This record gives sequence, C-alpha cells and structure tokens, in this order.
Amino acid sequence: MTSTSLSRSLTAPTINRPNIVAVGTIVWLGSEVMFFAGLFAIYFTLRSTSPELWEAGTEVFNVPFAAVNTTILVLSSVTAQFGVFAAERLQARRTGWKPTQWGMIEWFFLTYAMGAVFVIGQVYEYAILVSEHVSLTSDAFGSAFYLTTGFHGLHVTGGLIAFLLVIGRAYSVKVFTHRDATSAIVVSYYWHFVDVVWIGLFLVIYVLQ
Amino acid sequence: MKTNINIFWILVAFFALLTAVYTTWALISTDRVEWVGTVAIGLCAVLSAFIAFYLQLVNRSTGGLLPEDRLDADIDDGDPELGHFSPWSWWPVFLAGAVSLAFLGLAAGIWIMFYAVPLAMLGLVGWVYEYYRGNFGR
Repeated sequence: MTSTSLSRSLTAPTINRPNIVAVGTIVWLGSEVMFFAGLFAIYFTLRSTSPELWEAGTEVFNVPFAAVNTTILVLSSVTAQFGVFAAERLQARRTGWKPTQWGMIEWFFLTYAMGAVFVIGQVYEYAILVSEHVSLTSDAFGSAFYLTTGFHGLHVTGGLIAFLLVIGRAYSVKVFTHRDATSAIVVSYYWHFVDVVWIGLFLVIYVLQ
Repeated sequence: MKTNINIFWILVAFFALLTAVYTTWALISTDRVEWVGTVAIGLCAVLSAFIAFYLQLVNRSTGGLLPEDRLDADIDDGDPELGHFSPWSWWPVFLAGAVSLAFLGLAAGIWIMFYAVPLAMLGLVGWVYEYYRGNFGR
C-alpha cells in the first residue's frame, strides 16, 4: 500500500528538484568569497600605505617557480573535473589503465597528488623567503603575503583532506550511487573555487606586485 | 527560483554601481582609492553574480516550472525533503568540542593542539563515515 497519489497527469513535465547539497555548497562558497575579500582588502590597504616595503619585498620572489606551481594547481582542477565526469556516470573505479577508462577514484588520487605538490611547493617557497628574512612578523609586506597565501594554503590542505574522505567513501560502498556522486561534485566545486582564488592571488601578488 | 535569480542579478547591478560610486567618491575626497570598501563592495557583486549564475544553471536543469515560480501553487507543493539529517548523531557535538579545544590551544597553549587535532580528525572521519559503516554499510 502506498500513500502517494497515483493520479499524476501524464502530460506534466518531470521536474527535478534542485540538489540541496550542491546549492548549499555554492552559497557557502559565496561566504568564502567574502572571507577572501577581507584578506584582499588587508593586502591592498597595506600595499597602498607602504609601497616601499613592496618594492623591497617582491625582489626576493621567484616568479617562474610560483608560475609553475600555479599551473600545477590549475591543471589539478582539470583532473578533478574528469573525476566528476566519472562520478556523474557513476563509475567509481577504473576499467583499464588508459585515462579514458579511469574512474572517479583514479582521477581524484591524481588531483590529490597535484594539490599536494602545490602545497609542498608553497612550503618550499616559504622556507626560501624566511631565509631571505621575509617572515610573518618581519614587516607589513610579510604579514600581508603570509596571511593571504597562508589562508589559501590552508584551504588547499582542507580540500586535500576532503578528496581523501570522498575517495574513502567510494571505496567503502559496494554500489556507487548519486549520493556518493554528490559529495564528489561538491568537493570539486570547492576545489575549483580555491583554484580561482589562487589565480586572483597569483595575479595580484606575483604579476601586479 | 526565478525570483531568487532576479533578486541576485539586481544585487549585482546595485553592488557594481556602488563600487564605482564608492571608489570615485574616495578618489575625489582623499585623492586615493580606499581599498577595503572597494574590494569588499566589489566582491559583494561577484558573490551575488556567482550565486545568481549557479541558480540559473540549477533552474535550467530542473526541466520545468518549480512550485515556487507558480502563482497557483500551494505552500506545501514547494516543501521538498531537504536532505538526510541524522536524528541522534553525537559526531557534530564531538567535532565541535574538539575544534573548541583546538582554538583554546591557539589562545592558551599550543600543546593542547597535540590532543585537539587528532580528536578533530577522529570526529571528522566519524561524522563523514557515519552512514557508510556498521548497520548502514552498503
């Protein structure tokens, strides 16, 4: 016995309800935009009040290194998207070794590796800068640089943890369903967002200087 | 949802206009750009555009008119199941406690972090996998 009405008109179009998890994630990422707005505001204000610190500070940057690191992060967004395509066809695992046969798990492991390389690159860059006496407490330039890139780095690290949790979920189920695909999709939203924020930071900090 | 989309696009126009007004006004009265307001108001426009654009995509993929866009719809027509929320889970409480401890560590003494971070990881993993193991394994 069912309590559902059976008299639904046959001509009525099928309406898919919005995915609440996906919409909620986007609204939350909207609030993250404002979090980074605060950091950008700090950066621009300090840069306009003490331009001489920026002239001295940006000299120690290794821009080609940062550009390579940026490229790796941007490409990791591409691999994350291929993972989402696999999740959307409900394919968790590979059916062969060729990338066209990869499932969500393989693509997300690759994305994880690239994101981890980015974080390692950033830690290496921090070590170089500290050896050049640019630190969080050295001056306004150091504070602005480490606050903006540091909070971004923490977001990347959080995304890496999220990828591991989604991969773990895919391993823990016998049948990969839309529910699991949703968590893969929202983690990819977050990853693309963090990627776009980094493109903004890279342009402002390394290109615009 | 169409109304929501329109409201967000109106907000985009409003914040974009306000960014221009604020920046110009600051330039006229102080001869320099006031970055906090310019960045904050400008990114408010970006935030609104971001949500409006995404809601447009969602609205298109629903493939029909949602109840909230119909004048003849009743309230409970647009009362979908919001999602699955565990009625008895202790994991959010556990995680919140661990994160509170972590912030106490930042404030009072970094050694507390060595206990708080593993607890937070435990709470996070416990929460994420709550419906993926034991009785709920599938």
